[in-house]
Amino acid sequence: MDAVTYPTQSVIEHIEKHSIPVRIPFDAPLAREFVVKWTPNLLFVDTERALHHRIIGFLPPEELNPAILLGVGKVFFDHGDLDRALGTLNHVVEKHPASHAAPEAVYFRGVSQYKKTHSGEPLKRAYEKLKAAYPESEWTKRAAPYRLL
Amino acid sequence: MKTVAWMEDLDKALGEARNQDKPLFLDFFNPG
Repeated sequence: MDAVTYPTQSVIEHIEKHSIPVRIPFDAPLAREFVVKWTPNLLFVDTERALHHRIIGFLPPEELNPAILLGVGKVFFDHGDLDRALGTLNHVVEKHPASHAAPEAVYFRGVSQYKKTHSGEPLKRAYEKLKAAYPESEWTKRAAPYRLL
Repeated sequence: MKTVAWMEDLDKALGEARNQDKPLFLDFFNPG
């Protein structure tokens, strides 16, 4: 990550625009609190120190940027800040559709829209989008029950 | 070589996160 990904301008901008970045050695006491057993281990945490998303392993810049937005979006989602969640998740889906983060973003975008509207239609649309664009994704399988809505 | 402006003190970072209304991005790394 240090040699290839972090020095990339778009990665720097993404991390600093959307989060407060902190580096911690894996053998520091905090690694126990956050159950870190392997590196790279990237965590999205709120101001109460609660963990909302974790990325393990190396990601190149084109994958880390959408992965950061997904992690930030999941913090917003878990806090019920659905407008901000939708903003970041939409960005992943629309601007990084070929990324590994995109199917999960489609799933949580649909759930966020459902929570805002209390209509099952966004869940069904999320499944249809996943089936069409990411048929092999685990998120397509997770959304499969929504086809019946 | 420019890279991310990392913080190293979690408590300070938590305060900054509250001030800026942003989540924290924690990178646990192997210093080698």
